[in-house]
Amino acid sequence: MSFYIKYFPVAVVLQLIFSELLTFNGYQANIMLLYVILCSMPLGNTSQSTFYGFLVGLFTDFVLFSGIYVGASSLVFSVCAFWASKISFNFAFRNFDIYWISFVHLGVFIYSLFRYDFFFFNDFFLFLSNWFFVTYFTCFVGFILISLFSLKEKILNA
Amino acid sequence: MSRFQLIFKTYQEKITLTFCIIFSLCLIFNNDSDFIKNSKINSLDTFSFLYQPFNWLDNQLFLNKKLEVLSSENLRLSLENQVLKVHETENIRYREFLNFKKRDDINFIGADVISKGVSANMSSLIINRGLNDGVAENFSVLSSKGVIGKITSVSESSSEVQLISDVNFRLSVKIVPDEVEGILRWIGDDICEIAELKKISDIEIGDIVLTSNLSIFFQPNLPVGEVISIFEKSDSSDRVVKIKLFSDLSTVNQLFVLLDEVEN
Repeated sequence: MSFYIKYFPVAVVLQLIFSELLTFNGYQANIMLLYVILCSMPLGNTSQSTFYGFLVGLFTDFVLFSGIYVGASSLVFSVCAFWASKISFNFAFRNFDIYWISFVHLGVFIYSLFRYDFFFFNDFFLFLSNWFFVTYFTCFVGFILISLFSLKEKILNA
Repeated sequence: MSRFQLIFKTYQEKITLTFCIIFSLCLIFNNDSDFIKNSKINSLDTFSFLYQPFNWLDNQLFLNKKLEVLSSENLRLSLENQVLKVHETENIRYREFLNFKKRDDINFIGADVISKGVSANMSSLIINRGLNDGVAENFSVLSSKGVIGKITSVSESSSEVQLISDVNFRLSVKIVPDEVEGILRWIGDDICEIAELKKISDIEIGDIVLTSNLSIFFQPNLPVGEVISIFEKSDSSDRVVKIKLFSDLSTVNQLFVLLDEVEN
């Protein structure tokens, strides 16, 4: 809970910086997804974690992500927060990086399915390029932020 | 403890997740409802202050570059204007001679981009002009170089613009000088495709693409792009043309909304 509250303003500011100033070939890192995954990992209460993910998703849909369906972020964040909290005790300690990277893949995959009127059915190449570009850009930024804020130690010791 | 409470406690996690998923899916499948559209635009209105420092910084960072580009563009346009003035006088004389209807002047308003949102190859953005400025739904939006999209929803002081790069966006265009008409759709980066062009049409690389007279929401003859390649379809009598948009979608900060509604 404290993680969610403490890092929320930081995540919003970082997301705005990355969406307004630091785009790469038109693609933007999804900091809010990263924030939800990392903050859900130390939360023992899965229901609480899912609900927080959902609320952050609603805020993101209505305020931060203008180019996508309202409800897509709340769906993605609820699912990622649920699984991140549910199975973190089994895997997070030994495989911390693989663990959050997998969830970034999952989250961006669901996002990509809904983007541009379900473009999985419209343009498969665009779907794949969107999925991998956003995922790897987010992971790259994620590694920097985790090192910068020493998040690994903080999350595992929480 | 009642049986209901016991069930809820046992399956609390799954019930919460199911509720969140169902609620999110309801929102997704009701995105076209007025309630969702208005809520989205109102929340963006309320939180637009969050974007202001970043927009200001973005403008400052590229101010010198923009000034340089504008100066050279200004010089080029001044020279071009001299030539066009001569043609204009001639054109007006011919139109009067042939008793053609007088063309209306274009009335537009400038707007700053408040939010580009998080979306690879943006499909929509928010501008700081709304009902108070005379903006309404389906008004066309241009950058300094050409057509960029249209207004899809409006609040008091801001509006959502559906960009030409949205996969659902279609635009009726014509290729000059041959005046061949077709339907334009975005395919990636700054490249669009025009389909339904007759094979017999005389199109060449470098031809200019303008909005056609058939367009419902766009005034005719607004600049769109330039032809970069032409393909023949073996299985039909149609021809497909790829064009490069005049507007650079990745660097849009200032836009223009055409205020005059086109009569259908």
